[in-house]
Amino acid sequence: MIERFIHHLCVELPAADEAAAGARLRLADKFPRTALRRMTHLGLLVGAALEGSSLGPDDALVYASTFAETRALEDFLTSFPAASPLLFQTSIHPGGVQQVLIGRQQPIARLWPHAGRARLVEQALLTALLEPAARVALVGGEERGSWMLEQGMASARAFAFATILTRSPNGATGRLTFAPGREAAEACPTLENFAFALAARQSLTWPGGNGRWTMEWL
Amino acid sequence: MSAPADQLPVGLVACDCLTPLGDAAATNAALLAHTCALKLTPVLGRDGGDLVPLALLGPMDETLSPRWLPDLRLLATRIPADDWGSASAPVIVTSSNFGVGGLYAFTRDHDSRHLGHSTPFASVELLRHEFGWGEHVQVFSHACVTAHLGLAHAARLLHAGLAERVLVFSFDFVSPFVAGGFHSLKILNGTLPAPYAKRETGAIGLGDGAAFAVLTREAGPFRLAAHALHNEMFHFTGNQPEGAGFTACAAALSAATGGRHVWVKGHGTGTLDAGRLEAEAIARQFPGAPLTGWKGSLGHTLGSCGLVELAIALAALRGGRIPGTVGGTSPSFTDAVALNSFASAEFDGAILTSNAFGGAHAAMLLTHD
Repeated sequence: MIERFIHHLCVELPAADEAAAGARLRLADKFPRTALRRMTHLGLLVGAALEGSSLGPDDALVYASTFAETRALEDFLTSFPAASPLLFQTSIHPGGVQQVLIGRQQPIARLWPHAGRARLVEQALLTALLEPAARVALVGGEERGSWMLEQGMASARAFAFATILTRSPNGATGRLTFAPGREAAEACPTLENFAFALAARQSLTWPGGNGRWTMEWL
Repeated sequence: MSAPADQLPVGLVACDCLTPLGDAAATNAALLAHTCALKLTPVLGRDGGDLVPLALLGPMDETLSPRWLPDLRLLATRIPADDWGSASAPVIVTSSNFGVGGLYAFTRDHDSRHLGHSTPFASVELLRHEFGWGEHVQVFSHACVTAHLGLAHAARLLHAGLAERVLVFSFDFVSPFVAGGFHSLKILNGTLPAPYAKRETGAIGLGDGAAFAVLTREAGPFRLAAHALHNEMFHFTGNQPEGAGFTACAAALSAATGGRHVWVKGHGTGTLDAGRLEAEAIARQFPGAPLTGWKGSLGHTLGSCGLVELAIALAALRGGRIPGTVGGTSPSFTDAVALNSFASAEFDGAILTSNAFGGAHAAMLLTHD
C-alpha cells in the first residue's frame, strides 16, 4: 500500500456565474496588481487555492485539468490572423498553475501536468503517490468555457483545489492510500466531484487502476 | 541546487518515430547526410501569411479525418503486439498539441465534425479506439518536455511494480494554431534555424513528429538509466539570465552518469539566449562531451521532441555514427558543438535534453552495452 497524508487543503468553489473579472475583484488582495491583470480565471483560482502553502525547489507539483486554459484558448483562436502572443503562451497546458508559480518566482523540481478525463483523478493521485519529493502539491481545476462549453468541450463551472501531501501523519487532516489489488475498476470520481469531496471533507473509496483508492479524514 | 535525478533503469524493448524524413533509421540516415526537412511555408497554411520554416508530413491544413491519423496508424503498425491499455501494460500518451488544429479549423469553417478530435481527451479517445487500447491510458501535457514526463513516469510505474510493460506514445503535428502562436512570439520567422550558432537573429522551425517506446524492467541492450527534471518558474518564455535552470537539470543528470563517457543531444531549437545558456551549461556539466542537435533539420516537434529524438539516437547508435548539428554554423556558442557527425564507439552513454515554456528542463541518460 502507498499512502500520503493531506496537510494544506484549500478548495475554490466560486459562484457559478463568476467570470475572470469577478475573480480579479474577489481575489485582488492575493496577487500583485501587475500579475492580476494578466491572470486567467483558472490561474486566479489555482493561485488562491495554493495561498498559504509553501513549496521549495526540491518539491513537486501534480496538476490535473481536463479542459485547462479554456478561455485563453477561445480568445487565442479568435485573435487570428493577428495571433496574440500573450494568449498563445497562456493557452498552453499547464498555464494555469505556471501563472501562479511564475508570479511567486517559485522554482520546483518536477511538474506533472495531467490532461485526461475518465480516470484523471486516480491517474493524478498515482503520480502524486509515486513522487519521491518530501512535499507534493496536488492541484487541479477548471474554468467555465463560453463557445467551447456550448460544444461540450469545456467545463460548465469553475473550481480549483490544492493540497500538500507528505509522508508525515503529524498535523495531517487526511490520508490518501492506494492498495494494489485485482478488483474490477469502477467509476472514478470526476475532477469536479473530487474537488467537492475535498471541500466537504467527504471520504471516498473506489477500485481502479489495479487497486483500491481511499481518501479519508483524520 | 538541484533535486536528484530518478535513477530507475528500464530497458527499451522497441522505439521508433515518424518524421518527414521517414522512420528513425531513415531520419538518422538523412541527418547524417545533412538533409534539411524544413521548407519555407505560409504560417497559416491555406490562409496564407508569412513564410516560415516547417517540416511537415503533408499539408498542415486540418482535414475532417484528422490529418495526423494516417501517419499515426502507420507508426502504430511498428508497436509490438501486446495487451496495451491493460493494467499490466498501460499506455502513456504525451503531446503538447493533440488535435488542436481541429479547433482552428472549426473556427474557420464551423464544421463541428472537427471537434470530435480537437481536445486532448477526444484525440486520445480516438487513438484508444483506433489501436484497441484498454482504459489504462494516461495523458501528460507539459509543452516541449512532455515526452520526457511520459518516459520518467513509465520508469516509476515499472519500478513500483504497477506495470510489467509500458507503451509511451507521443505525437505533435503542426497546425496554424501552433505555427501562428510561435510566429506571434517572433521566434518562428523567415529564417532557418541554426542551433547553437552565434549570429544576429535567432529562429526556430517547427516539425511534425510522432514516436513510441516500449519500456520494461528487464535490462536490454539499450536502457533509460536516469531522468532529471527542473522547473525555473522565472518567466513564461524566458530563462533565468545566468542559466541556473539549465545547470540544475544538467547537474542532476551529471551526478547520475557514474563516470560514463557521454555525448549530448541538446534541445537546440535555434533561439539565441536559450541556445547559449544550454550550450554553456552542458559544457560545464559534461566537459569534453560533444553537443549535437537535430531541430535545424526536423524543426521542433514540440511535446514529442524528447521521444522522436530518442528514437533517432537509438538508430544512430545502431549505425555507429551520431548526426551532427544540422543547420548549425561556425562560430558556435561553445567548442563542444558538433557540426559534423561523429563515431559512437568511444561513448557508453548519451544525455538527451529538452526544454519548455515556464523554464521547464528535462534530461535523460541513455546507456547501452
